[in-house]
Amino acid sequence: MRKIYIFARLASLIALVCTCVSVTNAQHVVGNGKISGEFGFNGMYYIPDSLIGAEPVDSKVRANTYLSLMYNNGGFTVGAQYEFYSFPLIDFEKIGYKGQGLTRYYFDYKHKIIQVTAGTFYEQFGNGFTLRSYEERQLGVDNSLLGARIKLTPYQGITIKGVWGIMRNNFDFDYIHRQDFVRGIDGEFAFGDIFPVIAEKGFTATIGGSFVSKYEKSDNDIYVDVFPGTEEETYGIIHADKIPANVASWSTRLNFGYKGFRFEAEFAQKVNDPNATNQYIYKNGNALFLSATYSMKGLGVSASFIRSDNMDFRSQRLALAKTPVLAINCIPAINRQYTYQLISNYSYASQPNGQIGAQLQVNYQIPKKTKLGGKYGTDITFNYSRFHDIDRKAVPLADSLGTMSGTDGYTSGFFKFGKKLLYQDVGVEISHRFDKRWKLILAYNYITYNMDVLQGHGGMLQGHLVSSDLTCKINNKHALRLELQHLYTKEDKGSWLYGMLEYSISPNWFISVGDQWNYGNSDKSHRIHYYNVSAAFVWHTTRIALNFGKTREGVLCIGGVCRSVPASYGMGLSVTTSF
Amino acid sequence: MKKLLVIIVLIFSFSVIYAQEEKEKKYPKLPAVDVKTVNGTTFNTSNISNDGKPVIISLWATWCKPCVAELVAIADVYDDWVEETGVKLYAISIDDSKTAARVAPFVSGKGWDYEVLQDPNWDFKRAMNVPDVPYLCILNGNGEIVWQHSSYAPGSEEEVYQELLKIIKK
Repeated sequence: MRKIYIFARLASLIALVCTCVSVTNAQHVVGNGKISGEFGFNGMYYIPDSLIGAEPVDSKVRANTYLSLMYNNGGFTVGAQYEFYSFPLIDFEKIGYKGQGLTRYYFDYKHKIIQVTAGTFYEQFGNGFTLRSYEERQLGVDNSLLGARIKLTPYQGITIKGVWGIMRNNFDFDYIHRQDFVRGIDGEFAFGDIFPVIAEKGFTATIGGSFVSKYEKSDNDIYVDVFPGTEEETYGIIHADKIPANVASWSTRLNFGYKGFRFEAEFAQKVNDPNATNQYIYKNGNALFLSATYSMKGLGVSASFIRSDNMDFRSQRLALAKTPVLAINCIPAINRQYTYQLISNYSYASQPNGQIGAQLQVNYQIPKKTKLGGKYGTDITFNYSRFHDIDRKAVPLADSLGTMSGTDGYTSGFFKFGKKLLYQDVGVEISHRFDKRWKLILAYNYITYNMDVLQGHGGMLQGHLVSSDLTCKINNKHALRLELQHLYTKEDKGSWLYGMLEYSISPNWFISVGDQWNYGNSDKSHRIHYYNVSAAFVWHTTRIALNFGKTREGVLCIGGVCRSVPASYGMGLSVTTSF
Repeated sequence: MKKLLVIIVLIFSFSVIYAQEEKEKKYPKLPAVDVKTVNGTTFNTSNISNDGKPVIISLWATWCKPCVAELVAIADVYDDWVEETGVKLYAISIDDSKTAARVAPFVSGKGWDYEVLQDPNWDFKRAMNVPDVPYLCILNGNGEIVWQHSSYAPGSEEEVYQELLKIIKK
């Protein structure tokens, strides 16, 4: 296995050397080239608070810091990123961020039809059903690939990509002992670009396909907990020679458009992948995504459908964490994404191993200068989404121990909805500007959220959320914004109220005070106020923010990917800048 | 040893940046990155142009409230800006595959007249070194980035307008 590592290491060393050489020589060529970068610091002083569950921590001052630099000259780009987590924020330490190191280094060359990358890179094939390597810094998700990529554009409209690499495991740098790597190829044909006559008639059509394979050495037997989630310790064994070292996945996709109408589809499959997330079954996995949209000025309608079955695809078969650690692909959660404080804890997370559902959204603008629309028009958004578990019928068990591991696990009717509801959301949002000074956004949502599946415990939650966002533009520079939200629910921690007042002096200053009050908690001593005071200064691309307050324990979700965060209390300072 | 190497690289880099600033101010151009059109075809950002007139680039997402607020505020005055300065706004969405299919209907539902592009795996966002959205920059007639800003406060569109006026006066 050293071979894999040496290959990856070689690619990265070349990238690193090129970085150094180019940077040290840069003074000569900087006139034509460009150096740019990004710096981020996110620090916190922790105060223990037993009531909210903020535990005392060994070092009270903690921070996450990173610096990334990039040099670009014509077709050449070299770059590197250094990350410091010597005393990381508590929630990052809990997911394995500790230490410091050079986390990205790459060399990229582009000339006419070819682009070559060596070192660390991010890549996505199609919608990401077979491969998506990306970063979400606030969540601590980073599955960049260390290796090489070639991208060819032999003809306008034709793109072919090939990748090979070892996947980054958040902040685990132990590449030398890694026994796995990922390789893949993707092709895309845009007919509108290849045959301009099609585009002239208003049609666009793109087809694409990808193939991704994972290699992972299998020389150890795997002991499977037969009764997961219980205290009973009975283990089944899957022998090493029955564990496939290669796992393949592929997909085809289509995108067709005519004037305002657009249809998109992608279908992916995966074979031979017994792993910890699926209880080591051998069933083939698949995922289907369909989307139809219609747009004209003032109206947009979109309907999409998704079904995924046994599609959790990771670089290591033992990886189990709920966050997508070492995830090779990404099956998206297609519900509407909200930023409302009070339902952020009840945000749907994609279930690649079993979900079937649909989403409908209508965006309409009541025209400007009409009675209902007013001078500026009124925007209305309606949204409905519903996701179920897939239908599952267990197959006869493989051995006397009663474990389904080693079998196909279950069979499933393709378009049949399973009985278990995972998530439902009905929402309407109205946004209206009354005059130059006043603007109001009003929204109502009714959500049903399966806490058992999505958070591990707690039953089914039903909640009504009413929210409003009122902006008063005092003059060209000064503005006040008031957010009010009320979540009514009988489940989990009960009902919540939220209020936030923000005063901004354009374009540099933001000052805000806010409070989340858990007034409906059945335990009276836990009717806590989570208050927060913050001030931020923004100057071009530099932002410095200071805040003080309490953060509730919960789930932090960014774009359908979630991870749990502990409660915290204290003073935070964050600085980001790009240059 | 490795750490030492890193420190050396960083020091060098900073000295280079310093050296760069001492020279006469030269504006950077947009990086050439492949993004997508709303029809799913590939579009390279080096093709962003407006016949020698200024261009505004806004990085946004359908789920980002301040981004949408900024684009709505600009939409209210966009016709006047186009008339006076000839500006063209490219709204580059960073919605990933979860919400990417809904970008086009969202834009039409808002009645925006912007050019819309999509950067679903954040390649352009990374090449621009943008940590968070909203981010907005202005290109002059030569395609050089002359002004940039992150975050949105109500009223900051006025500053964008003043910058546009400065460009066309030059």
